[in-house]
Amino acid sequence: MRLDDSDEERAFRSELRAWLRTAVPAAPDGLPPQWTDGELRAWSAALHEAGYAGLTWPVEHGGRGLSPAYQAVFAEESALAEAPDQANVIGLNMVGPSIIAHGSEAQRAHHLPRILSGETTFCQGFSEPEAGSDLAALRTRATPVPGGYLLNGHKLWSSYAHLADHCLLLARTDPDAPRHRGLSCFLLDLRAPGVEVRPLRKLSGDDSFSEIVLRDVFTPADSVLGAPGDGWRVAMTTLAHERGTFGIALTARLAVQHARLRRTITAFGADRDPVVRREFAELHVELEGLRHTGYRALATLLRTGEPGPESTVVKLGWSRANQRLTALACRVAARADHPWYAHWTRERLRARTNTIEGGTSEVLLGVIAERVLGLPRSR
Amino acid sequence: MDLSLTPTQADIRAAARRYLDDRCPPSRPAEHAAELWPELVRTGWLDPDLGAVELVLLAEESGRALLPAPWWATTRAVPVYRAAGAELPGPVTSVDGTGSCVVRDGRLHGRCNAVVDARTCAEIVVAADTGDGVALFGVRPDAPGVTLTDRPGPDLLRTAADLVLTDVVGRLLLGPPAAAPVLAEVTRRSALLAAAEGVGVATRALEFAAEHARTRVQFGRPIGAFQAVGHALAECYADVEAARSLVYRAACAPDLPDAAHCATWSAARAAARCGETAIQVCGGMGVTWEFPLHRWYRRALWLEARVAAGPDPVDAIAAALLGPETVEGTP
Repeated sequence: MRLDDSDEERAFRSELRAWLRTAVPAAPDGLPPQWTDGELRAWSAALHEAGYAGLTWPVEHGGRGLSPAYQAVFAEESALAEAPDQANVIGLNMVGPSIIAHGSEAQRAHHLPRILSGETTFCQGFSEPEAGSDLAALRTRATPVPGGYLLNGHKLWSSYAHLADHCLLLARTDPDAPRHRGLSCFLLDLRAPGVEVRPLRKLSGDDSFSEIVLRDVFTPADSVLGAPGDGWRVAMTTLAHERGTFGIALTARLAVQHARLRRTITAFGADRDPVVRREFAELHVELEGLRHTGYRALATLLRTGEPGPESTVVKLGWSRANQRLTALACRVAARADHPWYAHWTRERLRARTNTIEGGTSEVLLGVIAERVLGLPRSR
Repeated sequence: MDLSLTPTQADIRAAARRYLDDRCPPSRPAEHAAELWPELVRTGWLDPDLGAVELVLLAEESGRALLPAPWWATTRAVPVYRAAGAELPGPVTSVDGTGSCVVRDGRLHGRCNAVVDARTCAEIVVAADTGDGVALFGVRPDAPGVTLTDRPGPDLLRTAADLVLTDVVGRLLLGPPAAAPVLAEVTRRSALLAAAEGVGVATRALEFAAEHARTRVQFGRPIGAFQAVGHALAECYADVEAARSLVYRAACAPDLPDAAHCATWSAARAAARCGETAIQVCGGMGVTWEFPLHRWYRRALWLEARVAAGPDPVDAIAAALLGPETVEGTP
């Protein structure tokens, strides 16, 4: 057991750090910069050019063939440097590996190079108005027609869909099959006629989310990823590709928030307030506990190919810690009439999403209870 | 970075668990207590070369089984004997008497409260002020001038006594200046291994509750199928794993200024919370004397009291992050 990088990891990290220092523009006021759509697209291209796209993809598919340890270093350092979001994160971290695992030769040849270069940007089309936590309740229909399928339905909460030209879509191809069995996964071209992408405004005012409405959208038969009817399994392996390294990115982002909170606290003398000091220190304990739980899960992933059961607590704890952190920051900044009050208010509003997106806290607690503690199913 | 157990570390933990499951089952907490010590010595539990991670794993398992032997008290003092080049005389304990114990004309005077396992050990390591700095002495509990008065505490398996020294002849183990860094090492080991023990205590309390929730049927189904129960135990799991991670971090990076404090605080909290939630989930059974769970909760209370009696770890973390606390209103 050791906490320091191996020689190879250290070399990779320092090279990446040096590159990020020059590639990420520094924010003049110390606040995280807001990126335009154009800057996000340019960032995807810059990552590819510098060799940081597809780190864990096999070499024969254009990746660097590195272990998830390097993906974790990349996620951590990018978050610490407050690099722009990877607009194509779904393409690189989820769709690409799924195409490598389940795709046809033609799908690999067409999509993989474009995902790597940033020419193709994927979003995800899983959630629906009636299918949130209960994803298998989804109703979007894919009706077989000559040469392919006609898609009809409504997808929600699709991040960066307004930037994307493709969507990894889960739809029902067999309405008579049991609900997990009748689903298929599609690599849908969003430029097809009948597709409408509409921004959804979150309570924070952000509109990086979209809904996708599908009206008689034709998609060819060769856009099915994996076997027709096997969509549930494909979707689950898609989600699994992110486990193990995603938690590292989350806790690194929390570390950045925590460091910014420290600057907020000291700037106006709240570091003399014992209540603020105590809560700040408690948040540090939470953060370090989650960060190192993420490292443990990653170590298990590297040893066994599966992240350890402790990985289940990282997202749960991160979301709550971020909510608590932004609430403390708002109180401190408001009291001191701090210029960052507006920033912290936006962060606090944004943080409400954290306990809902990517598995609600209630769902995650149920997963821990059933799959980790072995308690009987609650439903 | 590799925050997982090496195969050897995993073997050490598995062997410790097998041994303790066999020798200290929850139904018979202290049946083999007298035979345990020579077995622990023989199987390497007191090996002075054990690394921090290996010690942490043993401490975790000892907390999980509530090992009824003075291993924690002894192990923390091992660096003293190692530095002195002295044989461990058997189970020992140690106490930091700086500020309350002095050496005059080569004899020890003073008092120390709540010395763990003081009655059952072969020697008490006492840190005392000499005038030239701190020194470490070995004091036999039955030596002339030593008075031990039992101090009641929550944990029936870990007793303590108040120690009064009047003109006591102790054997000098380490004098100044060598004693001070070794005393600091003993203090660090005490805290780290107590935190690891707390993780083991929390783990076992959660196991009791999960087992009960899987088997206890009410309203026609196992109570673990009710989300109110399942989620409460899942919260405990999150607490335990965070504490475990922080203990491993402290074992791997002892020089980080906050690492030991984070481990201490989170482990004590996890042990108390898991004990309390476990008792709640075990319901009427959980509040009986016969049901063994209270013994783990009692250890959790002992650990909590140990933390509360020392410098506040959260204050120490705040000081490490924000600088020392100044009086409100002063610039």
